[in-house]
Amino acid sequence: MYFEAELKGTKYKVDVIELRSQWKISIQKEGDEWQHFEISKTDYQHTESYFSFLFRGVSYMMDVVGKDTEYTVFTRNSFRTVKIFNDEMLLHESLKRGGGFGGDRELKAGMPGKVIEIFVKEGDVIKANKPLLIMEAMKMENEMRSTRDVKIKEICVKQGDSVEAGATLVKFEDP
Amino acid sequence: MAKKQFKKVLIANRGEIAVRITRACRELGIYSVAIFSEADRESLHVFLADEAYKVGPPPSKESYLNIDKILEIAKLTGADAIHPGYGFLSENTVFARACQKAGIVFIGPTPENIEAMGDKLSAKALMKEAKVPTVPGSDGAVESLDEARRIIREIGVPVIIKASAGGGGKGMRVVRQESELESAFRACQSEGLNYFADPTVYIERFITDPKHIEIQIFGDTHGNVCHLFERECSVQRRHQKLIEEAPSPSVPPEVRTKMGEAAVRAAKKINYVGAGTIEFIFDNSTKEFFFMEMNTRLQVEHPITEITTGIDLVKEQINVALGNPLTFRQEDLRQKGHAIEVRVCAEDPETYKPSPGLIRACRHPQGPFVRVDSYAYPGYEVPIYYDPMIAKVITWGETRADAIERMQRALTEFILSGIKSNIVLHRSILKHAKFQDGTYTTQFLEKNFEVIEPELFKEVEDHIFLIAAAITAFNDRKSKDVRQLNMISKWRLASRKLQLRT
Repeated sequence: MYFEAELKGTKYKVDVIELRSQWKISIQKEGDEWQHFEISKTDYQHTESYFSFLFRGVSYMMDVVGKDTEYTVFTRNSFRTVKIFNDEMLLHESLKRGGGFGGDRELKAGMPGKVIEIFVKEGDVIKANKPLLIMEAMKMENEMRSTRDVKIKEICVKQGDSVEAGATLVKFEDP
Repeated sequence: MAKKQFKKVLIANRGEIAVRITRACRELGIYSVAIFSEADRESLHVFLADEAYKVGPPPSKESYLNIDKILEIAKLTGADAIHPGYGFLSENTVFARACQKAGIVFIGPTPENIEAMGDKLSAKALMKEAKVPTVPGSDGAVESLDEARRIIREIGVPVIIKASAGGGGKGMRVVRQESELESAFRACQSEGLNYFADPTVYIERFITDPKHIEIQIFGDTHGNVCHLFERECSVQRRHQKLIEEAPSPSVPPEVRTKMGEAAVRAAKKINYVGAGTIEFIFDNSTKEFFFMEMNTRLQVEHPITEITTGIDLVKEQINVALGNPLTFRQEDLRQKGHAIEVRVCAEDPETYKPSPGLIRACRHPQGPFVRVDSYAYPGYEVPIYYDPMIAKVITWGETRADAIERMQRALTEFILSGIKSNIVLHRSILKHAKFQDGTYTTQFLEKNFEVIEPELFKEVEDHIFLIAAAITAFNDRKSKDVRQLNMISKWRLASRKLQLRT
């Protein structure tokens, strides 16, 4: 199965083949050569709550959380979020977003919390890196800012709302 | 004769500290009563206590700060004492008095103790009377430039001029030589007036290399007060401590003795009862120390004192609350070896944003000289309503270097997934030269420690993350529609492989 992936802003092509007793995985970092890995299934085993991954003898306890196009991988006190798309999804994403992935059209809540204050209103044209609203979670107030120049299409929440992780807060369109 | 003991203690707190207190109760044969908010039904403290009762909705105001409801549960369960832990109601005189009135022992200082130290200005005045050093300064408003000049001639430079109503870095100027005084003084006055509508300013000695060093003290109802040496808590971010250690690598033995004696004088001045902490600002260049404030409660970082002195502070609190004298004398106390504590928080180590949510895998460090005070477990959902700290890891070593190495080892063993945690941040701090040589100050994280993202995560190569994500993505899609995806994939694979090989 062929994927395109993105990790910390770097793009990768990834190819996964499942055989009876091993995984064949090829990874190409943008601009680099393909690298090929053969991983025996006994070296990538699921235990009760995590994977034990023996990679060329190095032992990793791993966990992978996520679905669809975004997975967060935890290991050795570290974690990274990997965006991953297969062909259908790439097509779907490009239709939805009008080219390339990552050009956000909405602001979503990264964690469950409460909307404390909203600084913008529908129809406002906002420069990049301007405060949009303040969310409170775990006694901390977090200011959420625009990542690019946008026009506010819709504000989906109001002050005082409690929202779940992933809830859409504000929708944008091009200014 | 049977020793006097409480039958049942209500723990008016949550999380790791509630677990910690439950453990002390159980060791003493006391029944423990937990309270929990609606968001905490599945919190570990509820499982470990002998009894547990719902106290209210998730927000603290309606649950862990609900004095009437907590006392109602205490009466209902027949608890004869309440331990407030830290935070929440631990330094609340209304609560301490309400307990007294209800005939329930408040395991902590007297309401008068809390009051005496609650107000910063009156506390400072009391400390001066007790000959505890305070930061030299104007002790109030400075009216004129002449007066300012007289003060800095008396206390010396550098000084800091602050607008009384100021904050957030506005209305503050450091003066390193007398010639800078006039412009700094005027600037603070006008900033005070412009930003805070108040031109009043005051002057204090400016501490160049400030460290946060605190002394644990303990008093009983018989007038005894002992100190249990110091803890250094200079690794802080926005006044939140991250790493603590005992002893401090910066305090020479003779200064340690002086600090301990000053802390005992401070506690005796107010007839202090129970566990308390005198916080000092310590000037690492001159080795002077000045009173900052007193915390009239058990501290988060109390385990490092327990580990180095061998005294169980929670049991001692209960002992003192029963009216018994302290179980130790000053001359019995020694600091043995070195202990470090790190606070593991559910937060992003780069942005410091909280990361509540479901803990999937959780495996605590084990092994020699490692203590973990935690309330995390696999399947627990860290709620959004409370403090993000989920665990404290404490290690001991014969020397400071041993304790640091052991902490690195312990943190490597700590498996936590599903939520983000600051464990990698701790590991980077422990490795930092300024932490290693002990010269770090309270400005360390802001000034010396640049979080270089690749540094923080470099231990694991990118392709490890990619392989794991790709296998999971593959399995997810395969299970969705095995036939279709495999068909497409194999055709495309074949053509791509062909291209690759040519």
